[in-house]
Amino acid sequence: MPTAEFPNLFPALPEIFLLVAAMALLMFGVFRKDDEAGPARVRCSRIVARLCILALLCALILVVTMNGSDRVTTFNGMFVVDRFAVYFKVLILISSALSILIAQDYLEVHRVARFEFPVLVVLASVGMMLMVSANDLMALYLGLEMQSLSLYIIASFQRDDQRSVEAGLKYFVLSALASGMLLYGSSLIYGFTGTTSFDAMAGALAAAPGEAVSLGALIGIVFILAGLAFKISAVPFHMWTPDVYEGAPTPVTAFFAVAPKLAAIALLLRVMMEPFGALTVQWQQVIVFISVASMALGAYAAIGQSNIKRLMAYSSIGHVGYALIGLAVGNEAGVRGVLIYMAIYLFMNIGAFTCILSMRRRGQMVVGINDLAGVSKSNPMLALALAIFMFSLAGIPPLAGFFGKLYIFLAAVQAGYFTLAIIGVLTSVVGAFYYIRIVKVMYFDEAEEVLDRRMDRPTALVMAATGILIAIFFIIPDPLLSQAQAAAQSLFGG
Amino acid sequence: MPVAIVLLPLLGAIVAGALAFIDPGSRAAKARIDKLAQAVTCGALLISMVLAIITFNSVAINGQTQTITILNWISSGELEINWGLKLDTLSAVMMLVVTVVSAMVHIYSIGYMHHDPSIPRFMAYLNLFTFFMLVLVTADNLVQLFLGWEGVGLSSYLLIGFWYDRPSANAAAIKAFLVNRVGDFGFMLGILGVFVLFGTVQLDPILAGAAEHADTVLNLFGGEAHALTVICILLFIGAMGKSAQIGLHTWLPDAMEGPTPVSALIHAATMVTAGIFMVARLSPLFEQSDIALSVVTIIGASTAIFAATVGCVQNDIKRVIAYSTCSQLGYMFFACGVSAYGAGIFHLMTHAFFKALLFLGAGSVIHAMSDEQDMRKMGGLWRMIPVTYALMWIGSLALAGIWPFAGYYSKDIILEAAYGAETGVGQYAFWLGVAAAFLTAFYSWRLLLMTFHGKPRADEPVLARVHESPMVMLVPLFVLATGALVAGFIGYDAFVGHESGAFWNGAITVLPGHPALERAHESPTWVKLAPLAVGLAGIATAYVMYFLKPDLPGRVAAAFPRVYRFVLNKWYFDELYNAIFVRPAFVIGRSLWKGGDGAVIDGVGPDGIATATMGIAQAVRRVQSGYIYHYAFAMLIGILVLVSWYVLRSV
Amino acid sequence: MVGTDDPAPAARPSLWVAVACFNSRPPVGRKGIAVEAFLSDYVPIFIFLAIAIAVAAMAIVASYIVAPQNPDVDKVSAYECGFDAFEDARRQFDVRFYLVAILFIIFDLEVAFLFPWAISLGEIGMFGFWSMMVFLAILTIGFIYEWRKGALEWE
Repeated sequence: MPTAEFPNLFPALPEIFLLVAAMALLMFGVFRKDDEAGPARVRCSRIVARLCILALLCALILVVTMNGSDRVTTFNGMFVVDRFAVYFKVLILISSALSILIAQDYLEVHRVARFEFPVLVVLASVGMMLMVSANDLMALYLGLEMQSLSLYIIASFQRDDQRSVEAGLKYFVLSALASGMLLYGSSLIYGFTGTTSFDAMAGALAAAPGEAVSLGALIGIVFILAGLAFKISAVPFHMWTPDVYEGAPTPVTAFFAVAPKLAAIALLLRVMMEPFGALTVQWQQVIVFISVASMALGAYAAIGQSNIKRLMAYSSIGHVGYALIGLAVGNEAGVRGVLIYMAIYLFMNIGAFTCILSMRRRGQMVVGINDLAGVSKSNPMLALALAIFMFSLAGIPPLAGFFGKLYIFLAAVQAGYFTLAIIGVLTSVVGAFYYIRIVKVMYFDEAEEVLDRRMDRPTALVMAATGILIAIFFIIPDPLLSQAQAAAQSLFGG
Repeated sequence: MPVAIVLLPLLGAIVAGALAFIDPGSRAAKARIDKLAQAVTCGALLISMVLAIITFNSVAINGQTQTITILNWISSGELEINWGLKLDTLSAVMMLVVTVVSAMVHIYSIGYMHHDPSIPRFMAYLNLFTFFMLVLVTADNLVQLFLGWEGVGLSSYLLIGFWYDRPSANAAAIKAFLVNRVGDFGFMLGILGVFVLFGTVQLDPILAGAAEHADTVLNLFGGEAHALTVICILLFIGAMGKSAQIGLHTWLPDAMEGPTPVSALIHAATMVTAGIFMVARLSPLFEQSDIALSVVTIIGASTAIFAATVGCVQNDIKRVIAYSTCSQLGYMFFACGVSAYGAGIFHLMTHAFFKALLFLGAGSVIHAMSDEQDMRKMGGLWRMIPVTYALMWIGSLALAGIWPFAGYYSKDIILEAAYGAETGVGQYAFWLGVAAAFLTAFYSWRLLLMTFHGKPRADEPVLARVHESPMVMLVPLFVLATGALVAGFIGYDAFVGHESGAFWNGAITVLPGHPALERAHESPTWVKLAPLAVGLAGIATAYVMYFLKPDLPGRVAAAFPRVYRFVLNKWYFDELYNAIFVRPAFVIGRSLWKGGDGAVIDGVGPDGIATATMGIAQAVRRVQSGYIYHYAFAMLIGILVLVSWYVLRSV
Repeated sequence: MVGTDDPAPAARPSLWVAVACFNSRPPVGRKGIAVEAFLSDYVPIFIFLAIAIAVAAMAIVASYIVAPQNPDVDKVSAYECGFDAFEDARRQFDVRFYLVAILFIIFDLEVAFLFPWAISLGEIGMFGFWSMMVFLAILTIGFIYEWRKGALEWE
């Protein structure tokens, strides 16, 4: 019986660091004397929040500087670090840091500012990083559940608000169902390939050409897809999204809309491309179906919405549909398109949510679209920023959102998937309606009661930064494009 | 340097156009901007004029023809089109005429448009027009010519509708553009025909190769037709539109809605002469087709007489001159029709001078009468504005063809050529031309007498403000008057006389079978004197009817009411076109709009899709029920569908 | 046992995680072994299941057949020492019970993981030891957290 060797911990250093930091901050927070709902508690939460952001930034630096361009596996091949993983880890860490930054003021206003929130976000980030680096079905599940558990808790963070609790509960129950399906799929895969490691699976599934693909493996892939599609809120596993997004506290919704999606998309890409790359022709059909359904639903369902958070939920469903086009294409260009799209999507959404966070009337959050009427006169900067984000989400050049869609559709057209691209364009058109309606309400409708002008500094900074990034992306697209290209190449063994 | 002649007006137009966008804050600022615009545009044109004179000297007088290629424009398969300037006598003459008249009109406009709120725009449009006209006359290929053709049409539209807050001006501008369009359609087909036949649109190969295709036959709609005849007739249709020949003339009188300098420049001297220029330029083609030449002659002659009759009863001073232009254009066309291209161009040049003079003089009168244009409200002005009066006399004498003014020489040689053609159409043209000469003199003096003589019919306030025009408006008139005086006997020998061969130097081709111009010099004396005689007769008649017995015109009109109304209403052309083309077009348009667009396209398209989208959105909203078990059920159904898909496919 | 060639590793759910830390070997000739021999190990469980179902079913069915069924308002109502019920017997569920149950689950699973670790400690050496120490440390941090938060307070 071979003795287990000590695994190389070096590639996992960012995760280990974050984990230790999270636990240290948890202990730090719990050992401070804080009363119930007193200023001391708020102070404690602020300190912990800042330290968490610092920890995330250190992890970011570790991620970027430590890893070279070759592919390193550790923990017996269960943990892999390549440029693809680095790309997504950077995005995830940025989104987590930004979420904590913009959440603080909201939590204080709603008197739920506790130190556990940033710690949970950090723990969720660790889970997400693990997901992105997973090279084995076990590691996949570990990371997924770690992320999910943290998300359940922060979704219902506003304990006294019925809708928040409902959101958390719905998310938990449905997520459990999805995890169940994922596990069942994993077990089928294990049964039909005999291994849970992605590398070995790739070998086992790359059957000699001419042999029929094992149906069991395919069904296993379908179940795994179902579980992952739940996480990225793709149709028909999307139904939790509107209710959870609407009920959860707004900064949590912002976090939900970007980070878990990024991690799940990364995971989906890796799982579909590496172990199941040989079966591309088969699972493409499912992805195409999911993608088309998501785009269509995201476009049509949002039209009747009057709550802006619900609208963003449907919008994110639609965006996932577009991103999945890149996956459906199944080649390097498609994956590159997805990577570019998700990076731009991150900034667009964070920016849009900072604007939503600023929608207050007499200190109370308002979330109706009609509450935005007349903002262009009372708060022109907010109106301008939200207009930039809305136009970018709709995919209007020269804002960044257009380029995201461009690269996706380019990959689809170049691979011959014309119908898919055409459906994408048509649903974009339908979807543009509700984005532009928001702009119209802001600029052309008369306000009955104006929104508060006060905006806290971090939120305003994030809004400005993301707005500028989105607006000037077309001038300097190269850094993102080259990184995405390298990441996509690494996924295909380049 | 010839490139500069063409491009300077464009630069002026761009600068003045840019100035037109600046919103002046104060009156002083506006005055400065206006002055700058005027300086730039007039300066550009004056330089152009000087360069054109120098070019005329080198090309026409010294015979240095050249073709300058500037750059390649289109290179598609067999089609090669370049931007180029073809400089020969014909284009040099046209350039000279265009730049001189345009420069004079620009300077005149400084005074005439002094109180207008949009001076930079006006000057920009004038310069733009000049640019396009120069492109037209110096084109070395048919497509560039067409570009200039369309460009002058555009400028004409912009200038006729310059005062765009007047509905009548807008309507007139649209009418001009549309009627021209009909002609342009024929022109385009002609150019296509040329390309089909010759394989190129460059003028040099076409003109050189025309003789080879003398007998080529085109297969059209199952039948055969002589290629060059068809092509030339199509091209002539274009000329008919641009030069307001009978049938496509309806826009010219309405075009008088534009400011008077515009009428002088575009609708007297330059744009409307583009048709004649085109026919003369393509003379090698036209020469090969007797039928086409006959068509040209008949149309030209018919226009000459038609317009002259209508001009006799018009009451608006500008309309009289407009119909006069139409009539003179008819002369130029039937001159070309009998292969006397030189005579046609000669008359074009002299006509440019005296018609512009007449228009600008009429502008002076209108300016003096505080924008009154109805001659019935004028009268008795000759003592109050004597300089204008004298200049109008000079213009009218030239128009009527009285020796030694320019019109005498050019009109005479045309009628002699028509007689000398010794063909049926030639005779038709000759007699109609003589009759039109009578009427020309008649209505010209009718204009002079009604406007300047008799008891003043205007009311007191208007009469009190009558004043002579300022120098800036009179100097161009002097220049033009000089041209109207001397252009005739100076140019006679070169254009149509003994030196015409060396002068034209191959720019115009006349086949030996068409000796009209040579025979013109040998025509009988009565033919030579006929135009002068009928001209004097016309003047005499006018004196009788409008000076000696002022009530005679009224009695004549009352005696022949139907004839009078027929002529007054321009032979009912407008009403005819309205019934045949305009009203049916509106009916079709309305039915397509309401029925086609509104019901079908909008119903299926935007409105239908929008309603369907809202319906789908409502339906989708209901699916999201809020119950967890519904959601879980949906997920399971999703899985079921996907798994079944694979199971069924593999079974 | 862990470490020996296990012909059917998928059939050991509770050891699945521990096994997967090592390279899992593909099942050798699954179709070669007769299904009956494979399943014969599980027959006792099946018998046990059958007996349990039978006994439970007999209890319910016998009560249904033998006992008289005459429900009455007074018979069915809640008993409160002969009095009419003062108030609804229901109370808001106290979250303390839930917390205790959850904490129990967590630490019970911790112990469950300790068992296979303890047995195989010989083979996995120092690395195995320190892995479990890290695991226990993390759970201890969680324990400290809940202690400080007052989840263990009963009143």
